[in-house]
Amino acid sequence: MSMRSQIYEWTGSRTDTGANALAAADAGNRISIFIGGKGNNITKPAETTATQFVVIEDVATTPSAFVSGLDGGTYRGQTVASGVAGPRSYVQVRINTTDYFLDPDNVGNDGIPGSASPYPRSINFQPSFNLYPDVYVLPGQVFDVLVTFFNGAAFADMRCFVKYTLYDGPDALIANKLLEMGISINPGNVDWYKRTLIQSQAPAMA
Amino acid sequence: MSMRSQVYEWANLAPSGSTSSLRRGTSDQPVFVTNNREYDVFIGGIGNNITKPAETTATQFIVIEDIAATPYLGGAVQIRINTTDYFQNPDVTDQAGIPGLASPYPRGSASTNGGTDAGDNLLKSFDLYPDVYVLPGQVFQILFSLRTATSDTDTEVVACFVKYTLYDGPDALIANKLLELGVTINPNNVDWYKRTLIEQQTRSRVAAQAANGGSA
Repeated sequence: MSMRSQIYEWTGSRTDTGANALAAADAGNRISIFIGGKGNNITKPAETTATQFVVIEDVATTPSAFVSGLDGGTYRGQTVASGVAGPRSYVQVRINTTDYFLDPDNVGNDGIPGSASPYPRSINFQPSFNLYPDVYVLPGQVFDVLVTFFNGAAFADMRCFVKYTLYDGPDALIANKLLEMGISINPGNVDWYKRTLIQSQAPAMA
Repeated sequence: MSMRSQVYEWANLAPSGSTSSLRRGTSDQPVFVTNNREYDVFIGGIGNNITKPAETTATQFIVIEDIAATPYLGGAVQIRINTTDYFQNPDVTDQAGIPGLASPYPRGSASTNGGTDAGDNLLKSFDLYPDVYVLPGQVFQILFSLRTATSDTDTEVVACFVKYTLYDGPDALIANKLLELGVTINPNNVDWYKRTLIEQQTRSRVAAQAANGGSA
């Protein structure tokens, strides 16, 4: 029985978990930050068990700036190529086989640009995007976070960040109940539901 | 049945030899953008585009919550619903829309192209509130314009960003109902309306049981 705030940070250059480092040839390919074989990975696809409920609250990736005339140089610490300083990266959330972020023509897109949801955040790169409403991963679903970068000259420091809350055991049951009731799933509302249950039992206990 | 946060990012980047593409690529190069011309970021024929005009189906409702654009070269962004521009001058004449200096993308970017002055990090002066509603069956455009053209000899990249929430299926019906009621459409209020419906059904069921002497 628990609600736990969780994060996962992916760094393309890490090889300590046995995967390869990100390479220029990976530009344009969608890479799973969990099991993509690049950077730090985990042992199996990310999924919820029958007694778990995951709420993804934030996704972010390395930002890029748009500039001119600096090709081959650096701008704000990022390598510049074709007028873009940084990896020109995007992050997409996939639940089972469905991409979460779509273009207005209902075709799946690359996801949230790092320039809109930067990681890390800085004075130079601040967020324009807030993942609200949150993304729910229901019990038994597989989820993935996919990064894509297009600037093969500036991927060296590629990172991705995911913040989610894991509801386990009875708290996952309450999360399902809140979902049925059309109430946003967050720790405050789960606690509210528990208090309501206790209050409804109180007269019988007295 | 869903409410989903969505974004669309446009930049004047396309594969060498073409002015636009449906997919971003690793060999994209900046495309020349002329001045004082409004480009539809969805189907304008410049940079990354989509396959058809942006529109809502009969079971969709869109709430545009943020727009932002490149702050330099006089970048600005306008919203058009069907044939009507959202941002107008006080004399009801056309204007370019929200300047990138007021709603910069990326947030924190310099006020000049490639600007490196310490502390030159633009913050937003503009917040799109109240939001812009795109009702079922409407066509919408996001129009990007520059007051100064990009260089045709240099790699000058400009961009535009839109954040919106897509309500689909029953949630779009609820969004329409909230609109009729004069209640702001946001995920919280859609959830509130659902809870109200559920509570009403519960009360009706209890009342029916009471009327039947306690049996269902």
